[in-house]
Amino acid sequence: MNMKKLSIILIAVSAVLMFPLSCKKDFLKQTNTFSSTADATFQKPQDVVNLVNSIYDTYQNADLLKKSIWYYANFLTHDWFNNGADIVWNYYAIPSDFGALPAFWNNAYIGVARANASFAIIANAQKKGVITQALADRLTGEAYFLRGMTYYYLAGTFGGVPLELNAITTGLTPRASQDDVFKQVVSDMKQAETLLLSKTTLPTSELGRATKGAAYGFEGAAQMWLKDYAAALAAFNNTELTSNYHLMPNFVDVGEFDHQNNDESLFEIQFEISGSQSWDGGWQAGGEVAWIDDFSWPQEISGFGYDYGNPGLWYSYQPGDLRKAVTIIGPGDENKSPGIIAKWGGIKGYAVVQSGFAAGSATYTGDDGKIINTCGTLLHPWYGTDGTPRSGYYCAKKWRDPNLTGANGNSTIFGSQNQILLRYSEILLDRAECKVRTGDIPGAMADLKLVRDRAFGGTAPAVMQDGARVDGSPAAPITDPLQMVLSEYRHELTAEFSLMYDLRRAGPGVAAQFIHNAYNTSAAANNNINQVIYPYGPTHDGKTHGVWLNDLPAGRDILPIPQSAIGLNPNLKQNPGY
Amino acid sequence: MIKKLQIKNVVAIIGLSLSLLVMSLSGYAQSGKVTGTVTDGSNGTPLPGVTVKVKGTQATSITDINGAYSINAPANGTLQFSYLGFLTYEVAVNGNSVVNARLANDTRSLSEVVVVGYGTSTRKDLTGSVASVNAATIAKVPVTSLEQALQGRAAGVQVTNNDGAPGANVSVLIRGIGSLASYGNGPLYVVDGYATSGGINNINPSDIESIDVLKDASATAIYGVRAANGVVIVTTKKGKKDGVQVDVTAYTAFQGRPKEYKVLNAQQFATLANDVAANSNGNFQTFDAWKDPASLTNVDWQNAMYRTGITQNYSVALRGGTDKVQSATSISYYDQKGIVLGSYFKRVTLGNNSDYQPVKWLKSSTSVKYSYQDSNNPFGTGSLVQLSELPPTLDGGNKFTNQPSDGKGNYGFYNPIYTYVAKYSNPVNTVSNDRYQNITNYLLANTSLEAQVIDGLKIKTFVGINLTTFTGSFFQPEDDRLVQQYGSQAGASQNAFYNQHLNQTFEWLWENTISYNKTFGKHGINFVGGVSEQKNTWNGMGGSGIPPNSIIRDLSQVTNLQLDANNPVGSNTGNGQNIYSFESQFARLTYKFDDKYFINGTVRRDGSSKFDEGHQYGVFPSGSVAWRAKQEDFLKDTPWLDDLKIRGSYGEVGNQGSINPFQYDALYSTGLPAASSGNLGYPFNKIYQKGTASTQPPNPSLKWETDYITDIGADLAFMHGDLTITADWFNRKSKDFLLLLAAPAQSGYNYITRNVGSMQNKGFEFAANYNHTISSDLKYGIGLTFTTVSNKLTSITSGTDFVTNFGGLSVQGIGWSTFTETHVGQPVGEFYGYKSLGIFQSQAQIDALNASAQAKGKGFYQRTVTKPGDRYFADTNGDGGVDATDQTSLGSPLPKFYGGINLDLTYKAFDFNAYFYGVYGNKILNYTESAMESFQNRGFVGVQNVSADYYQNRWTTSNPSNTYARATSNDDAIGSNLPSSAWIQNGSFLKLKNFTVGYTLPSNIANSLFLNKLRIYLSTQNLFTITGYKGLDPEIGIQGGNATQNGIDNGTYPSSKFYTIGINVTLK
Repeated sequence: MNMKKLSIILIAVSAVLMFPLSCKKDFLKQTNTFSSTADATFQKPQDVVNLVNSIYDTYQNADLLKKSIWYYANFLTHDWFNNGADIVWNYYAIPSDFGALPAFWNNAYIGVARANASFAIIANAQKKGVITQALADRLTGEAYFLRGMTYYYLAGTFGGVPLELNAITTGLTPRASQDDVFKQVVSDMKQAETLLLSKTTLPTSELGRATKGAAYGFEGAAQMWLKDYAAALAAFNNTELTSNYHLMPNFVDVGEFDHQNNDESLFEIQFEISGSQSWDGGWQAGGEVAWIDDFSWPQEISGFGYDYGNPGLWYSYQPGDLRKAVTIIGPGDENKSPGIIAKWGGIKGYAVVQSGFAAGSATYTGDDGKIINTCGTLLHPWYGTDGTPRSGYYCAKKWRDPNLTGANGNSTIFGSQNQILLRYSEILLDRAECKVRTGDIPGAMADLKLVRDRAFGGTAPAVMQDGARVDGSPAAPITDPLQMVLSEYRHELTAEFSLMYDLRRAGPGVAAQFIHNAYNTSAAANNNINQVIYPYGPTHDGKTHGVWLNDLPAGRDILPIPQSAIGLNPNLKQNPGY
Repeated sequence: MIKKLQIKNVVAIIGLSLSLLVMSLSGYAQSGKVTGTVTDGSNGTPLPGVTVKVKGTQATSITDINGAYSINAPANGTLQFSYLGFLTYEVAVNGNSVVNARLANDTRSLSEVVVVGYGTSTRKDLTGSVASVNAATIAKVPVTSLEQALQGRAAGVQVTNNDGAPGANVSVLIRGIGSLASYGNGPLYVVDGYATSGGINNINPSDIESIDVLKDASATAIYGVRAANGVVIVTTKKGKKDGVQVDVTAYTAFQGRPKEYKVLNAQQFATLANDVAANSNGNFQTFDAWKDPASLTNVDWQNAMYRTGITQNYSVALRGGTDKVQSATSISYYDQKGIVLGSYFKRVTLGNNSDYQPVKWLKSSTSVKYSYQDSNNPFGTGSLVQLSELPPTLDGGNKFTNQPSDGKGNYGFYNPIYTYVAKYSNPVNTVSNDRYQNITNYLLANTSLEAQVIDGLKIKTFVGINLTTFTGSFFQPEDDRLVQQYGSQAGASQNAFYNQHLNQTFEWLWENTISYNKTFGKHGINFVGGVSEQKNTWNGMGGSGIPPNSIIRDLSQVTNLQLDANNPVGSNTGNGQNIYSFESQFARLTYKFDDKYFINGTVRRDGSSKFDEGHQYGVFPSGSVAWRAKQEDFLKDTPWLDDLKIRGSYGEVGNQGSINPFQYDALYSTGLPAASSGNLGYPFNKIYQKGTASTQPPNPSLKWETDYITDIGADLAFMHGDLTITADWFNRKSKDFLLLLAAPAQSGYNYITRNVGSMQNKGFEFAANYNHTISSDLKYGIGLTFTTVSNKLTSITSGTDFVTNFGGLSVQGIGWSTFTETHVGQPVGEFYGYKSLGIFQSQAQIDALNASAQAKGKGFYQRTVTKPGDRYFADTNGDGGVDATDQTSLGSPLPKFYGGINLDLTYKAFDFNAYFYGVYGNKILNYTESAMESFQNRGFVGVQNVSADYYQNRWTTSNPSNTYARATSNDDAIGSNLPSSAWIQNGSFLKLKNFTVGYTLPSNIANSLFLNKLRIYLSTQNLFTITGYKGLDPEIGIQGGNATQNGIDNGTYPSSKFYTIGINVTLK
């Protein structure tokens, strides 16, 4: 072995030996450039604000708002029916694998988890001086409010649900009782009431954030679920509510596109346009714009017609009630939305109507031979163009966004109209119910009168009486104070996000009895799938038009826990009605 | 130059036929006694134990320790020398008394060199399970990629051409599916010693010397945490010491148009549309233009989009060397024009291997492989299904033309006002006007320095890099033709769009090893140990051009390229950097005694940055034993058995399941841009504010997947090595799959990456090769591989016993989100859906079922809208009605067995090769057929073309079919085409993958042309397929790399027949 070889070998051997030594401990430590860790994330006030924004974000979901909360609030009352893939709602046979339920459940719990996680992060950021005490309070209040509101809708829809309150959980918690969940709602709202800003101090730029008033509103509603009407009244009478929120003078303005975030609204889910509003952008690309409004327009206008009204609701409005024409319209009724009239001149302005009329289609021709400007005509009600039965009555409350055209015209399908979850007239009606429950009938009547006077454009008739019963026979005056409140819930709040919740809250069996009375439903077998021939009016032509009048079966006043949630958390037990 | 080459070639070892032997003759004798010495032709060492036989007699002798023999033979007799590992050699005595023989190595035999991790072995010394494919086999079939060369050639290796698109990936499964993770089942590829983390796109198949597939844990454990799916070791050709060889190969292949679906022409389609409209209660209204079917112009979309493909491939290699320096250089060019309009694949490869040994104890080896690839597949798998769906007429659309293209710049389009066709676009227009670019450069280079310290002890340092760069762009011109003709009712114009992406993966590897290889008498020791570091860095940037106005029709006008907003890791559109690293120590010790008993132990300790501190290191041990029974006295003289070895091994190996880094860490994200559902923000006062949320909980205990593999095998040889058989039984248990799995939302996350579940693959592999030389003019060989794998899931998460399909394959249609469900105890990816009982024939039948459903508390039997002619599903759970809970297992996409048959025949100057590949016992979910039996374009408001078969046989009142449902425009509501047993078909097939006839010029003519060898051949691929499958091609693999979506025929790019003419030339 010569020296040269020896030296090379020495170098090589030492390289082999040195290699492990050269493996510094951090060779396996890398830095993530795509997502950040908690420590790296919350360095500026906006970071912490963003954390709370993401809780609100869980509500920007059409399956949650429309197909879960809205369906529950309105299909279960038989005021509205589905046409399309979800007609099981029409006869109370909602399957536990109904597609939208997991969207509701999952978004709700992810929102809860984001709220749970935020408390410590906000506190830590405040301790480190990243945010001020005031901002910390507001953000903490928002997190409490959103968690409480989410539990409110979860318990209202499913009964008792698991209470997840900690930042870290396996997610295997079993269900709590319905009362325990509403107690948690009360507790969260009480925290929020102390921490949130008042509506009067919330900067305009932050419009849409939870306020003290909204917290009092949901607290009162939750107290009503707990039958603590005195506590509910205390919440409803708080000046944050009574001083800062007012009925809009004209009922129609409550739901108008150009009156979003109005003086009557306590809390609404905000939408704005990002990207395209047609299939390619809004739906295919999954933009968080809402397919809530034109979903329900007549198929003749939008190509959809996926939900439609019960003629019985149309008949039930007392003569002179201005709410009717902006809630449900049928053959011969114009769309009275000021926004729609301003943009299109009414129904006649839509491209599909104009081209259809030009082509001589009877569908788009009025009974006078001119271009149609009504929601169908008595001669040619709009039952839909696909041959599947619809009643010819449609939701005018959600026909307000003048930008939308449905699948016709320029295919603007997805809108940015906010969805109001709670508004002041519901607070007044809630307060009336509380007063009925606590024996203050005059007080209750006074609250009802506030709502009804506005509905009638001045002074409501002294006698409260439906326009007609489902068969066209005259309705009897409503004199029972509780029934008066329930009837007002229906006529004021139908097609919004409250009605069935308020009816079920009134007590076991109350909702089923109310629906039974309102629609003369019958105790057909559970899941009776047969629609009936509506016995009265233009639709009474001896054919079926998508109207079901079966009783709400026992146990079906709440929805099934999503099967997928049970699959992932075996500790969840299904509701006994399913 | 040519002359110089010829001189050197005197001693060249090119071509086995020339190097078989050199015979020396000395003296002349009348006696019958012949003596001589038998030596190894490759190195001249004496060969003891060689059987020497006088042909046609019983006279036999065996060579002694010095290779010497003595035998009585007639002067005009023929001696036959046979010895395991060498080709049998015959020579005439010709009256000589001394006949020496040099035997040539038989590369097929057990003495072949097998490349194992960090070293080599010989087949007879192997204790693990290794399948090998050599250059000669690869050369028989014109293949684009080395995976294709493996198909059917190696037992236990299932290769599926998922997709016939030019340059498409091929899926390789070694011993079944061992992971549920997406892209978690591919083997580790080691190219010239470099363990790559990506694919092996940079290799020119004709550069491959050998492919060795390591299958059991004993063989793979040296690769630790990356070894669970097997290791494919690719060794490229090197220069040989003596002489120069120049190889030129070229071929041109014509690819025929694929089989086409038989769909309706315009007249039939319009007739069907009018018929459906008439029976729909106004539910569906036909298009005015279709009301007179006879007036329509037919458009055959398959005809418009398919064409004859052509492939050209050229390769030149120069290999050779001297004692100290050997070099091999190759250049190749591959150009494929695909059978679908717009598809192509071009590849240039450059390769060099250099070895330099200046002194006996020091050696360097360098391997450099570069590849440039340009591929495009604008209308491929996933889109092609449209060709059978698009309505076969464009009448009522573009006023200028009702053809896909009129050749004057006008392209037909569908009427944008008629809702039922409005969403369709003309693919000929798209392919003709959109601009795509996908260019990838691959560089794999490594170099090593090896020193022999003392006899048998070597130290080596090895450094390599692997670089991949991708640049891609897409331009779509503005298109306002619809608006021009139809005004605003046509919707918005298509705006111009441009995007461009660049990304780069750079990886380096440094390994130092020490090895000791020594024989002491009957004891042999082989040790290798080492340390390794590897680091992989991905960088990506991508942006979109926002044209200043919407009238851009030209790429050159694109401006304002802006970086895309944050995109997730893994999409090649992300902006950012992604790094992971490995560090490892490993060792292997093999001890053998008397060439009879072998024992092997391997261990690797791998550290991976993909896991959290404290969970980064895994130790993967394995052990194996082998007994070469033939060497025992009691078998030594058994004449019919030439070799018998029995092997057994057990070990643990790991799998990182292709997970992205940082899955263990608690992460926050600001989500996707506002205009997507992945945003986390929310508008206040109608102005969007960003959101931030935790997207991933901490999961510090996350770790690699582990496989426990047991293998028992035997290697046998008969008939002087002409027949070799290898058989293995294996049991592979895999656990702790790294899955992004649905989590209870109560946890705050819809999905969490977890270690869950376990699976078992048990199977049997068999490979047999028989080669026989009848005369010097006639030789033939038969090769057979056969593999059975039985797969079952043995557990999933606590609380659940199944997992549904995940991995993103989306098939259109309500109810099609779930089409497989893997239950514990069942094979992975089992199809799942309704059991079809035929077609409802009458309203009375439906009414009766509804009545009995109502008696059981159900509202109805199947659906409220069910009518005669709809598909009738089984109430499998007996609850009275059909709903989601009645879905059931419909069969497995996994074959009961698969294998290949290879036939070789050489007759004089002609050679023939036929090679069959087949699978048996699997099912295919024929989604395409379900689509072609739905007049509705499912999941959308729209109608589509259907198959002619369906049109002619569909249920009508006058044709009460029990197989085909009635035609409707709203199958989403009716559900006749839900995932059901109606679409499950037998997927067994036997395909003639290759048939080649070659002709080699006689050597005297070749020599006169200064050629060493010239072979021309005609070859055809996919000539025929024997199958009962009703779709176009039953060769359907895993989609999206995920085992839960396997065997779904959703209209892949079809493979079709190739006809190839080629030439192989070796220059002197």
